[in-house]
This record gives sequence, structure tokens and C-alpha cells, in this order.
Amino acid sequence: MRFRGNLGSYLVTGPFAIVLAFPFYWMLWTAFKSDRDLYNVDNIPYKFSQGSPTTRNFSFLFHHTEYPTWLKNTVIVGLIVVVITLALSLPAGYALARLSGRFGQSLGIGIFLTYLVPPTLLFLPLSRVIADLGLQDKLASLVIVYPSFTVPFSTWLLMGFFKTIPVELEDAARIDGASRIVTLLRVVFPISLPGILTVVIFSFSLVMNEFVYALTFITTSSQKTISTGVFTELIRGDVFFWQGLMAAALIPSIPLALLYNVFLNRFIAGFTGGAFR
Amino acid sequence: MTDDRPRVDMTQVHDEVSRRELLRRAGLGAVVLVYGGAGAKRAVAGVPLYRHKELKGTLKILQWSHFVPAYDKWFDKTYTQVWGRKNDTEVIVDHISQAELSARVAAEAAAQKGHDLVATLAPLPQYEDQAIDHKEIVQEVSAKRGKIKDVCYHSIYNPRTKKYFGFADNYAPDPVNYRTDLWGEVGLKPTSWDNVLKAAPKLRAMGHPVGLGMSNEIDSNMFLMALMMCFGSFIQNSHGKVTLNSKGTRDALKFGRDLFKKGMSNEIFAWTASSNNQGMLASRLSMAMNAISITRSAELSNPELGAKISLLPIPKGPHGRLGLEHVMHTYMVWKFASNKKAAVKFLADLEITYKGAFLNSKYYNFPAFPSAVKNIKKELGDDRWGANPAKKYVVLDQISEKYTHNVGYPGFTNAAIGEMFDTFLIPQMFAEVAQGKSTPDGAARDYHNRINTIFAKWRKRGKV
Repeated sequence: MRFRGNLGSYLVTGPFAIVLAFPFYWMLWTAFKSDRDLYNVDNIPYKFSQGSPTTRNFSFLFHHTEYPTWLKNTVIVGLIVVVITLALSLPAGYALARLSGRFGQSLGIGIFLTYLVPPTLLFLPLSRVIADLGLQDKLASLVIVYPSFTVPFSTWLLMGFFKTIPVELEDAARIDGASRIVTLLRVVFPISLPGILTVVIFSFSLVMNEFVYALTFITTSSQKTISTGVFTELIRGDVFFWQGLMAAALIPSIPLALLYNVFLNRFIAGFTGGAFR
Repeated sequence: MTDDRPRVDMTQVHDEVSRRELLRRAGLGAVVLVYGGAGAKRAVAGVPLYRHKELKGTLKILQWSHFVPAYDKWFDKTYTQVWGRKNDTEVIVDHISQAELSARVAAEAAAQKGHDLVATLAPLPQYEDQAIDHKEIVQEVSAKRGKIKDVCYHSIYNPRTKKYFGFADNYAPDPVNYRTDLWGEVGLKPTSWDNVLKAAPKLRAMGHPVGLGMSNEIDSNMFLMALMMCFGSFIQNSHGKVTLNSKGTRDALKFGRDLFKKGMSNEIFAWTASSNNQGMLASRLSMAMNAISITRSAELSNPELGAKISLLPIPKGPHGRLGLEHVMHTYMVWKFASNKKAAVKFLADLEITYKGAFLNSKYYNFPAFPSAVKNIKKELGDDRWGANPAKKYVVLDQISEKYTHNVGYPGFTNAAIGEMFDTFLIPQMFAEVAQGKSTPDGAARDYHNRINTIFAKWRKRGKV
């Protein structure tokens, strides 16, 4: 009965789900294909034959490339960038939402606009900066540069979220003798958890996907992140090792997809929190 | 003279060291080894990597990930390590995908820091001011291995400034890869562009179109410029004057349009460097212009298919059979390189003893100095990696000798040609005509003017 009641919703969301899940299906399927089967057009995209399915591609990834190192580097950079992003965007978002009035609104939009400047314009001047800092070929270069695009977006997002929290709650805490910092830590931030989680997941995803800076600042294999390491080892000249590429993309996307699902409701609340204010 | 010192019975010494004492001494020794060695450069568990001496210098190299993984393994783990020991230099080789080399090179030029040596798949005369004069390397190799090949000389030398802005260690001939079984059914061979045009509709009807790109990527660039030359169309003359707006160009554009309409599909406008490889390996395409990566991949993944793919020189056009290199692998020593001396010596040594590179690349890397590898034709005939038929690759010798010219032929590969190459103007010109957005006359005139503007800019800078 419940299914029948939701039939309309399923009919609308079903096609979307299929279209959006198809790339993941394609990754999964290709990751288990043998060389010969990959190029057998009769078997695409539903069948296996000629030595497939095989786990050889995963084995190659872990035993013949530095994939585990790239995974580790990605996680390290991601976590540090998330911490920096939160440290900067939480107070900035709150200040813009509460303390600056109309000026804050304009400043918030201004900060968001910097997020729209593409890395393809910035990588050349930033290369000089990174070289002058002596950070070429070091993960620290990414840790310094990535907040330049995670902080503006997160600040803008949190600013909208903080605006949805009634000021009366803070006033009550202040009347009870709490300082602004204590009010922030004990009242505002706990209520803002969906927004904070959104910032964490979104910033981490941005770091995982980033390519241009990772490519131009780092060439040493042991310092690469997934986005460039995989690209270098599994695209050799004009020969693409598709199965390995798909396996390499699939592995980090699974935990990230699970994370999104676990916090789905909070994630939606985080994004839509400031939508009506 | 007699030695009056008391004699020590060595057998007794062994007995006198208790187990505890032995462990203590061994532990102390290990601590000395580990922490003493930790100060050494690249020490592993305290033991220096190279015996007897610390390596004084460091040489950092950036190059593409070769399509033959074994080549990179040989280059990184064997050749450079042996060379490094001989020359007291630690050699570090970094690899990135060929498509991303330009961005990385631009970043290093902007930062004025990076690798000592960078290698690209096409010369980069745009960076002439940032690079050293590589004349010394050319002269040293010439003294030992004879003259540099003309196609390489024209690719790395600027006659205006009299400077070698790069050093080509190798180039790759660019043959036609075609399916003998499919073309056999049609009763033709891709020996002329006329034959290609005749066969293309039949091959497409059989479900196996020819795969010749008109897109912003390296293979389309090389194929279309070679096609133009076969029709008597040249971007510049030997004096560096733009000559694109010619009957030859219009004829080539008409041919490209006809070939697309009769024998290809819209996919060629979204072509990537790997499209022809994938299309041939999937048994879908009947012909492609590419270096030997297609056939070598087929030999590994699908030997039966590999046996059906044969190689030929570029098809003949109304103006003759004129081809380009597929890749001109060019090293550049930056002016800001921290170890220029080692970089220069490394390149000279690499070229003088090029046979290892030639063999480990499975004949992809043809030496820029032909005498650096003796009996190339015999080597090609004695293929050791599963060529079927066995003499399949012998034709590369003929292609390299007769039909391989530089980008910008009959002139030099100058900075203007480099910019035109990097901005993919030629594929765009062909695509516009093939899609009916422009006429052959209009496109030839329009792109002549655009390229002229580029030449004027570089002429003003004194580079053309």
C-alpha cells in the first residue's frame, strides 16, 4: 500500500536514479574486465567473458602502483583542509550573518564570488608563490592553496545557515551570563551541526576532485594525490588503462557515497538551511 | 726482529665473549649503523645507497609516461641509476601524462623553479628565452655519432637566433595502421588518399569506418598537417612566410570534407589521443594514423587482432607522399636549472648510447642521430615482442628515411608554428569546413590571416 502511495514519487525519481547511478555501474563493471573483454563491443555494458570478471586490475593498482600512498596523501590533505576550512569559515560565516548587517550580505556574496574564479586562471601565479615558499613537490602546497576555494564557499554556506538560528536563543544565553564565545560553542554550533557536516563533506569532496593545482604543484609520485597519481600511472601516452582507472575511481567513491547517505538528511538541511532567509 | 708482544689466542677470544656481551655489542653496532647512516642522502636503514661515496649533485627530470611501461622502468630504474652512479649524481625522474605536460611546463616557467630537464612530445620554441642553448649537446653527439637527422634539426633549431632551443633525443615515425582483412574485402589498400576516399563509404557501411580525427588533440594535428602536405598545402615556406591560403589548402579541405561526409561520423570532432587506439583495439575502426602504440597494444591484448593490423607509409596525394613525425620527443634544459652541467652531460650520454632506449621502447623511439643505433632495419626485422607478421615493423625504417618531416616543413618548427600547434588551429579549420560552417575558400583565407597574426607577433619578438 505504501509503495502504491509513493508510486508517483518513484516514477519521478526512478529515471533520475538510474541516470545518476549509471556511471558507478559502469565503473564497477569495467573495473572487473580483462583487457580483451574490455574491447569486445558485444559485451558492453552487461556481459563478462574472455577472462572476466577478474580482480587483476585491483591487484595491479595496489601492488604495482603507489595507489595506497596516493590514497593516504588524499586523506591527509583532505582532513587538514577540512580543519582549516572550519577554523576560518565558522567564525567568518557567523560574523557575516550576525555582526555586519547589510554590509555582511554584500561581503558574503563578494567572498562567494572568489570561489568562482577558476583554478586554470590562478595556477600560474600561484606556482610562483608556491615556488617562493619552497613548497614545490610537497603536500603542504595543496594544504595552503585548497582553502582558497573551500573557505569562500563554506563561509557563504554557513552564513546562510547561521541566519536561520533565532537570535533570541543567543540572547537568552547571553542573559544567563554566557560570553559570545561560549554562546557560539554551546548554543550556535551544536544547532548548526547539519551545516558544519555539509562543509566537512563538501570540502573533502572538493579536495578529492581537485586536479589542476595537484598537477602543477606536485610531480613526485610519492607526494601525489589520487586525482593526479592515477592519471599519471594509468594513462600512458595514448594508451588508457581503463579498468585500472575505473577501479581507482571506484574505491574512494564508495566511502564517500556512504558518508553522503548516512548524513543525507543533515546534508540537505545544511544546504537548504539558509534558503528562505 | 722478533715480536715480543704477548700472543693472543683468537679461539679464546671468542669463548670469552658472553652471549649478553655479544648482544650488547651487536646492538651498539646497529645503533651506530642506523643513526650514522641516517645522515646520508637517501639512506635506507642506515646503509648508504651508493658505496664509497655520497652523490654530489641532483638531476631532476620531468617527462611523459611512456606508452610502454617497461620503457619507464628501464629508464627510471636502470639507465638513470647507472648513469647517476657514474656521474656522482642522484637522478630523479618524474612522470606525468602527455596531455598535461604543457600545463606543468608553463607552471615551471612562471615559477622559475622546477626540474632541470623537461621533455615534451613536440618542441616548445615558445620557451626559447627560458632555455639554454643546446648547441653544445648537439655538437658533442655529432662528434661521436654523426649528423643529426634533418627532421630533428629543423624541429629544435632557430635559424633567426641561431639557437638550439631544445634537444630532440628521439622521434616517432607516423605510419598508417589499417586492417588488412577489412580493406581486403573492399579490394583496396590505403596507399593513396584517393583509395582512402573510395574505400571509406564501403568500410563505413560494413560497420568499420576509417578513424581520422578533426579535433583539438595531437593526433588530429599531426594527421591533418600531413594530409595538407600531400595536397601541396604548407603553412609556411622555407623562409618562414605564411603560405596557407593556397590551392593546396583548399583541395585538402575539400578532401577532408568529402572524407568526413562519405566515410566518417561526428565522433571525429570529439576525438582524443586515445580514440584511434581504442577504436582499432575494439575492432571497430579500419584505419588510423598513429605511431606503433596501436599494434603493440594489440600484440599484448589481442594477438589475433594484432596480426590483422598492418603498417604502411602515409597515403600518396596529388603532391606526393609527405608525412610528419608522430612525436618529436624534445628535452629542454631550463636557464634556471640548478644542475645545468649534469643535464647537458646526461642528454649527450643518453643519445650517444641510444640503443637501449630504442629497444626498450619497442622501436617507438627512433634516435635523432641515426648512427646512434646501428642496423636499425635489421633490428626492426628481428622483432622480439611478438610482431605478426615478423617483419611488420621494417616499414618504419622506410617511413623514417623518406616520409618524415617536421611540423612547419619546409621551414623550421619555430615559435609561431608552436603556438599554432598548441592552439589546434588546423583541426579547427578542417572541422569548420567538414561541418559546413565555412567554405574551403573562406577557411583557408581566415586561418591564413589568423596564423599570419601569430607569425607577426613572434617576428616582432625576433623569434621568426
